[in-house]
Amino acid sequence: MESSFFALGTIFVPVLGCITIPVAALLSKGFRNLWAMVLATITFILPVFLIPAVLQSPSGEIVYRYPSILNLEFILLIDGFSIFVSLVSSFIGALIVLYSIDYVSHNEFQTEYYTMVILFIGSMMGLVFSGNLIYMYLFWEIAAICSWRLIGFYRVPSHIIKADKAFLITFFGAVVMLFGFIQIYGSTHTFDMTAMRTVPVSSLAVFLILIGMFSKSATFPLHTWLPDAGVAPSTVTSLLHAAVLVKIGVYAFARLFCYTFKIPVEWNIAIPVLVMFSSMVSAGAAMVENDIKRILALSTVSQIGYIFLGFWTKTLTGVAGGALFILMHGLAKAGLFLCAGIIEHGTGKRDIRELGGLFTSMPFTAISFLACILSVIGVPPFGGFFSKFMMISGTVEAGRTGVASMGLFVAVMTAIYLFRLFHAVFFGEKKTDGHEGTSLMVGIVFVLAFLSLLAGIFISIPGSFAEASAFHLLEKFK
Amino acid sequence: MSNDSILLLPIILPVVSGIICFCIPERFFKLRNFLALLSNFVLILIISGLWHSKTIYYVSDWFMSTAIFSLKADGFSKFILLWISIFSFLITLYAWSKMTGLKSRQFITYLLITCGFACGAVLANTLLVLLFFWEALLVTLYLFIVLGGENSYRTALKAFVLVGFCDFCFILGAAIYWKITGSFDFPAKPVQIEGLAILSFVMMIIGVTGKAGALPFHTWIPDAAIDAPVSFMAFLPGALEKLIGIYLLTRVCFQFFHLIPGSGSSIGLMTLGSLTIVIAVSMALIQKDVKRLLSYHAISQVGYMIVGIGTGIPAGIAGGIFHMLNNAIYKSALFLGAGSVEHRTGTTDLKSLGGLYSQMPLTGLCFVICAAAISGVWPLNGFVSKEMIIHGSLETGYKIFAIACWIGAILTFASFLKASHAMFFGEKNNKFSNVKENNFSIVFPMGVLALLCIGFGPFSRIPLNAISNSVAVVSGHDFSTHALNLFNPVSGVTILCLIFAFLLHRYGYLKSGKKAYLASEVVHRLPVINTLYNLAERKIFDIYEQGIRFIRVFSIALYYGFDRTADWLYERLVVESGVKAINALRSIHRGFVSGYVAWIFAGIIIIIIFTFAF
Repeated sequence: MESSFFALGTIFVPVLGCITIPVAALLSKGFRNLWAMVLATITFILPVFLIPAVLQSPSGEIVYRYPSILNLEFILLIDGFSIFVSLVSSFIGALIVLYSIDYVSHNEFQTEYYTMVILFIGSMMGLVFSGNLIYMYLFWEIAAICSWRLIGFYRVPSHIIKADKAFLITFFGAVVMLFGFIQIYGSTHTFDMTAMRTVPVSSLAVFLILIGMFSKSATFPLHTWLPDAGVAPSTVTSLLHAAVLVKIGVYAFARLFCYTFKIPVEWNIAIPVLVMFSSMVSAGAAMVENDIKRILALSTVSQIGYIFLGFWTKTLTGVAGGALFILMHGLAKAGLFLCAGIIEHGTGKRDIRELGGLFTSMPFTAISFLACILSVIGVPPFGGFFSKFMMISGTVEAGRTGVASMGLFVAVMTAIYLFRLFHAVFFGEKKTDGHEGTSLMVGIVFVLAFLSLLAGIFISIPGSFAEASAFHLLEKFK
Repeated sequence: MSNDSILLLPIILPVVSGIICFCIPERFFKLRNFLALLSNFVLILIISGLWHSKTIYYVSDWFMSTAIFSLKADGFSKFILLWISIFSFLITLYAWSKMTGLKSRQFITYLLITCGFACGAVLANTLLVLLFFWEALLVTLYLFIVLGGENSYRTALKAFVLVGFCDFCFILGAAIYWKITGSFDFPAKPVQIEGLAILSFVMMIIGVTGKAGALPFHTWIPDAAIDAPVSFMAFLPGALEKLIGIYLLTRVCFQFFHLIPGSGSSIGLMTLGSLTIVIAVSMALIQKDVKRLLSYHAISQVGYMIVGIGTGIPAGIAGGIFHMLNNAIYKSALFLGAGSVEHRTGTTDLKSLGGLYSQMPLTGLCFVICAAAISGVWPLNGFVSKEMIIHGSLETGYKIFAIACWIGAILTFASFLKASHAMFFGEKNNKFSNVKENNFSIVFPMGVLALLCIGFGPFSRIPLNAISNSVAVVSGHDFSTHALNLFNPVSGVTILCLIFAFLLHRYGYLKSGKKAYLASEVVHRLPVINTLYNLAERKIFDIYEQGIRFIRVFSIALYYGFDRTADWLYERLVVESGVKAINALRSIHRGFVSGYVAWIFAGIIIIIIFTFAF
């Protein structure tokens, strides 16, 4: 079967399939949940079939073009990197959908929830396989709309304000980015990424595009919507942080600045400092905050800085490290947010000053939580170690030892604030009663934690995949 | 090059048996302990089997084309492996009786996994493999300390952050080294310490000495002595961390880099070592809890090893490595001895102990032998290695480092006279009149280690030959030319130091009303020194406490200065000005047709002007 079939399926099964969820809901709640799960699973399985085709392709990529309105071709760009990111996002997304079945079972608007979640995953798939800047923008905005509906899921007025904030900031960034695209179009007369490889772009265009990426991937100073988005259900925050939303910006960064455009020297000097500063500011903020989900959200802002840094290096090690960290951070962060969901369910509290001593009542959650924070910090044998090490090595290789030292300092800060969170919740004086989550919920976080460990022990599997995709991304820049 | 997968066994065997031990239910605890002992014993056999073989390699693909999984067992690594396995065996045996219940199960598991990781770090033949196993030890370090009790998690975090910081420094050093040499493999030729290599060297030194427990990243060890299980103290800070820390220090100084005697880096290292000796032993002297006292010695002894290796002279290097081994032996035994007393009396406070020798003669004897060995009493093993280090440092021409070693010797002996006296001799505490000697599994490991302390003194040639032969491969030094004559003026000074220490203890003992635990108070109460001690006890010099304080303030500054400011700007500037703009627009849409018509005309005029103007 043609690989275009699988790629189109990966995008349109969730994007069109989400419309069928309200229909499924008419039959029964159980069927709706099952149908959402089926859609999420198919979205995860389809990209797997793309791997052999890409491996056999001599150029390392497959491109399909479909004519469309206004001379804007819909271009499918299938290479190692797009498959890698789509697999990571859809896999974590599928696990989160499974966890949701128990988590949101007592809430209203479940049908809308599942519809939006599946569309959300679909928009990510569309963005990942888009080889045309305009379609990339299109899927970018679909994701923004989904996140807006999902953050305000509980319909509390204050939550809706936060949802508006998230939408407005990311929308503002995206529009500015669109101006950047148009500016590039002025000189290249195309939106086709494959036709623009190694094309030098102006400083202004890079600036405009970066605003889009930084707003979506929550980087200082456009990051404050992400901690505020913590009012959403934990499954949604997990999805935002681990699988879909914030990974969009870093994916676009790699796709545009490693694969497509050649950026001016001044940005090469500025970007690593900007992203590491963002990491440091958010690590500092995480040290001060007291809300579990805000701390975890700020930790995402902090870790995203590393991914940007890895991709910025344009070295094989750094870019492969960045790609690997999308996986490792995704697994661990999804685990952490889902653990936070269990804690919130079990105790009704999110402020760490009101929590404590939960280790005895929630041992499995605690162990999973510990494993995930170790992976985020970057301690072997967990997967986070390899990716962080590669990003730091790549930075040194690119000649920026100072930035690498900053990265390691932030890693120490990460250890301190994540352990502060872990200890405040699970150790010390018992301040509140809590109970372990349902076996499905605990099972999922355990799987995520265990996968963080397995990904480290069997690093050769994701590692070689990440290296191959990084190699292809950078091919033309060598 | 043979590709021998037997090298995977020292890593896989302990880790897998650790996991199996964790799965064995509590009612079969004897089976679990037996399995742990057996796997340790098999490990010793495997490594002994490798002893006479040539250098063995294992190479396989790993996760990147530049990152291969490569292991190598040369003489030096086999030497360290053997001792890791021996300590692992003895501590497992000790923990059989000392620990019970869930703690025992977790302890055994962590111990075996730690042993596997440590073997991996020692066998590593590329920087990446080394970092993987080296840093993985952080996880078990944290878990071990958490095991201690309800509030030990704070100390666990302290250990994690301090050792983690050192590990991250090592990562940076390794990354720079990779940039310099272009490969993660261990180099065939050492790199000169110049230019960017200086930064790499310094970072790696922070990494390895920090792991070994040198200043200033040592402060978790005394806290762990109180909070963590004593078997852990005997195993990790007592033995294992020294073994692998000093092992890697040797490789860093002589295989990765070319440490030239008398160079800036050599003097820097020796200064670090000397400061570690003097500061830590001064703190040890005034301690009134034997576990805390031992923990400070665990730090100060590292100083000797660093001075020895920092000399860059064969006598010093061999002495430093021999001291690493000796220290692991007696320090481990001393912790086990303290644990043995704690097991029976429930305390390690010197004030409440006393006169236990008659009731616990074996523990007492082992403790005293090891205390004498650590103090460098002739003819025990500590004497030989310390002498070699002092000879080496004198050979560099900088006498100050030898003087630091002698000051260390005085205070070490004085503090151990105090500890041994207060625990085993002097007045008995009636509370402990029914106390009895511990059983075989506790006494046997101490006995073996105490015997080694005696044996490695007169027969020091046996370990020294092994060290010389194995280290020569790494460092390229010729150890055969240096014949150490122990009866010389230098030893005379050392012996005088010991006599002075004895007199100091005696004086302090009499001065404090014949209370041995107060014997060091004469030093403690000296003006200026007393103030320094008070500041140290309040953790003013604790890099962790100060570092955390700094990071807290720094974080608050970042939080309010940038994070909240950005948010405030958004809320005020964007939201409020947006609302105002909307209100302004609203005010011009009043619903009168005439108004809209006026706007339409105004628009048309603007378009016309625009079209014609451009």
